[in-house]
Amino acid sequence: MSVVLESPRGACVLGGIMNVISAIEGCVPIFHSGPGCTMQTAAGESNDEPISAVACPSTNMQERDVVFGAEKKLRTTIDGAIEIYDAENFFVLTGCTAGIIGEDVVSVCKDYQDRGYNVYPIETPGFAGDGLLGYEVGFRVLLDNIVEESSEKEKGLVNLFGIIPHRDPYWRGNFEELTRILKKLGLKVNTFFTEHQTLENVRRSSAAELNIIVNPYILKTASEIYEQRFNVPTLRFPGLPIGATDTTEFVRKVGEALNLDKKLVEAVIAEEEDYVYSYHAVKGNGLGWNRFAVVADPNLAVGATRFLANDYSQTPKVVIITEAMYRPEDKQRIIDRINDLEYATPPDIYFESDYFSIIEILEKYPEVSMLIGSSTEREYCSNNRIQCCALAFPLYDKMVVNKGIVGYKGSLSLVEELYNFL
Amino acid sequence: MAERKTRYDGIREHRPYTYNDLGDSNSVITEEFEKKCIKKADRTFSQGLQCQQINSLNALMSMEDSVFIAHSPQGCTGCATLGIIQYRIGQAHRGIREMKTPRLIVTNLDQKDVIMGGEKKLREAVQKAVKRYDPKIIFVFSSCASGIIGDDIDSILYDLQSETDAILVPIHCEGFKSKVCASGYDAALQAIGKYLMPKEAPKEKEKGLINLFSPASISYKDTVEMERMLERLGLHANYIPFNSSYEKIQKIVQAEASTSICKVFGDEFMKELYEEYGIPYSHTVMPIGIRNTDKWLRGVAKVFNKEEEAEEIIRQEHERVIPKLEHIKEKLRGKRVFICGGTGRSFAAAALIDDYGMKLVGIETPTYDADAQDDVEYLNSIHKDYIIDVANMQPFEQANLLQTLKPDVFIGVPTWASKLGYPTTHVLDMKRPTMGYDGILYLGEKISEQLSNPGFNKKLAAHSRLPYKASWYEDDAFKFIKKAGED
Repeated sequence: MSVVLESPRGACVLGGIMNVISAIEGCVPIFHSGPGCTMQTAAGESNDEPISAVACPSTNMQERDVVFGAEKKLRTTIDGAIEIYDAENFFVLTGCTAGIIGEDVVSVCKDYQDRGYNVYPIETPGFAGDGLLGYEVGFRVLLDNIVEESSEKEKGLVNLFGIIPHRDPYWRGNFEELTRILKKLGLKVNTFFTEHQTLENVRRSSAAELNIIVNPYILKTASEIYEQRFNVPTLRFPGLPIGATDTTEFVRKVGEALNLDKKLVEAVIAEEEDYVYSYHAVKGNGLGWNRFAVVADPNLAVGATRFLANDYSQTPKVVIITEAMYRPEDKQRIIDRINDLEYATPPDIYFESDYFSIIEILEKYPEVSMLIGSSTEREYCSNNRIQCCALAFPLYDKMVVNKGIVGYKGSLSLVEELYNFL
Repeated sequence: MAERKTRYDGIREHRPYTYNDLGDSNSVITEEFEKKCIKKADRTFSQGLQCQQINSLNALMSMEDSVFIAHSPQGCTGCATLGIIQYRIGQAHRGIREMKTPRLIVTNLDQKDVIMGGEKKLREAVQKAVKRYDPKIIFVFSSCASGIIGDDIDSILYDLQSETDAILVPIHCEGFKSKVCASGYDAALQAIGKYLMPKEAPKEKEKGLINLFSPASISYKDTVEMERMLERLGLHANYIPFNSSYEKIQKIVQAEASTSICKVFGDEFMKELYEEYGIPYSHTVMPIGIRNTDKWLRGVAKVFNKEEEAEEIIRQEHERVIPKLEHIKEKLRGKRVFICGGTGRSFAAAALIDDYGMKLVGIETPTYDADAQDDVEYLNSIHKDYIIDVANMQPFEQANLLQTLKPDVFIGVPTWASKLGYPTTHVLDMKRPTMGYDGILYLGEKISEQLSNPGFNKKLAAHSRLPYKASWYEDDAFKFIKKAGED
């Protein structure tokens, strides 16, 4: 299914699994792989977690291991990890090397489980796909091994999913802003990845009243499992809610799904919108007018296009979705959401992951003066005097700590990011 | 293309008396190495390393008019971002406004290819590279996956070569072949030697031209200082493969000599150039610190019979630099140092600290061999007892050693030492000077400032911790290093 790609975005399945596992406190990923996979996955996904890159245990398979197998090495590596890491949960990842020679990580992990250790196998090998598949695989591992049945629902508990750690460079701040808003509605929020949450939050996620998936397409299977196995329904919000218009819609949808007090919901909306517009009133529309392009993952592409068109009166010309997408209905959901603009004429929409082809598309729109993209598009922008606002993954020429670009407050940060000399 | 015999197979571990897994006191290691009685060992538990592909790719990514193809799953290009960042920083520092990015294509091997072979995708990638960029060179990097499934990239490229003017260069850098990052550099340079060199040496040499082998981790400021030092000897540099090009590679044979900025970068290739083309070379040390910079300069001068000029330059530079070190020395004298770095840089840092009167208590370096023994014997003449951990990073061992040795300062990647509250500094900087005589002044200021202002690390340590159990810090740091036959 994978195609030849120029300037690929992100790492392999292992990178995506790491985005899930390494972002949960108290989990130790163990690489049963060649020597470079810990670094490649971390650099490829911009993963900066404490147990990522060379801080991960790794069997560092060598030629003799490829020939003779490395089960013994895997066992001594797991033993060492259990001995020195102050953690209780270990996940064994399968690199291409172990995957191709057919290492039986399941039996090895089973053996540890029989002896009372929480050592979980993840069989999907590196070559099985990209980091997005890895994110799905990571969630599946949690669902199959960690999430426990709950006898009753916990009132007001929701799971907030769909913002992918590291793949969304602003994931921490984005989770924080949406969590802040949901808390104002009186809710408790499981993200698994922020506020020092641990596997305990994962375990208890079955008691949630609702899964809120902020993403137009990811976690389809996981949401079905939550629904069928644990009776947790899903509210899918198809794209990052950025700015007052979409965030207010988001808040109302959550309110409806949980049957929250309408007065409370409207009061929160009024207060937050007032906050946002008090700043817009001071700053005005500082950007003037731009015809803009977006080159990004679907979550950001939908959110940024709608915000810039609906709330900031910029003119969308072209949106290029960079993630490989396979289900036609997912593509349609994205197209529908982008086309559903209040005043602006909808942009042209493309699905393309290959850098050269993306540039070929952009060249058809010489009128574009502003581009929302990743660090990869900087070259094209800088050499064509286009204002480049790098917000999308991969973002390797900018440091993001806790800034968010979603919700009410985040949309003001996004406005700050937009302005530059070009 | 001239087929050239290579005596060295490109795998550092295959050289005699080379060790990756070793840890002991300096005296024990030096003595046992001398007696050739160090047994091969392996870590039964270890953390991640670098693979060859990371280093092969990053060594070459600043080459002009080239396209880089990773014949691998998508993930193996992860570390390419590091090369791209370095390349862009280099352009920014040189004032280049029209930004260039290395052209990188991945064949994206998947489950189907692992079973059916990836030849079709490799052909497609090469054809795309040619059509899109009409490059002079296309480098194709193998991977663990392509290696194990047995894709014969040499034959595929040989076959495709008739269709294009671009020179197709296969690089054999399967990750599982070596634990030593230098093997990745060797694979890249060997490929240059095999596929890109002119058929015969030119009749005339370019006067004063020296091949300067450098990885891409050299900062712009460092290139300025290297060029200044070479210019004082009447020489000018042909950088290979850093910021290099097809034309510069063709000029390798016109050079009067070769040298390298790093002990383990280009050493084997320079040997090959000497044997094949009679180009003499100087293989010494990384020019960081007074002793190493002197040694490096003398090495270069010797090849050009300019020893006298070198001594005069060294005298002048000492006169200029050493007095300025006095106030730095006052601050740093006697401070106990732990160093972690790559092969060239770790030993260079260890020699450098003597310039400031500091004391070595521990050093982590990726490989131990006869070359390392040379350095260690020199270090032994200055520092009495210190620990040598032959390790590529291995943060768990580093954390244990730091808490055991309690140094005053840590030199290396600061990620883990900072969480333990140690003042940290580094002699690797992609943006600032580290090398030559100017580098000594800069590093002196840097080390003394960073050491005297450790606020960030102190406060960070009060609020964070490393993921290891308290008991690990009480344990033997080298307990997982088992000699062959031990269990």
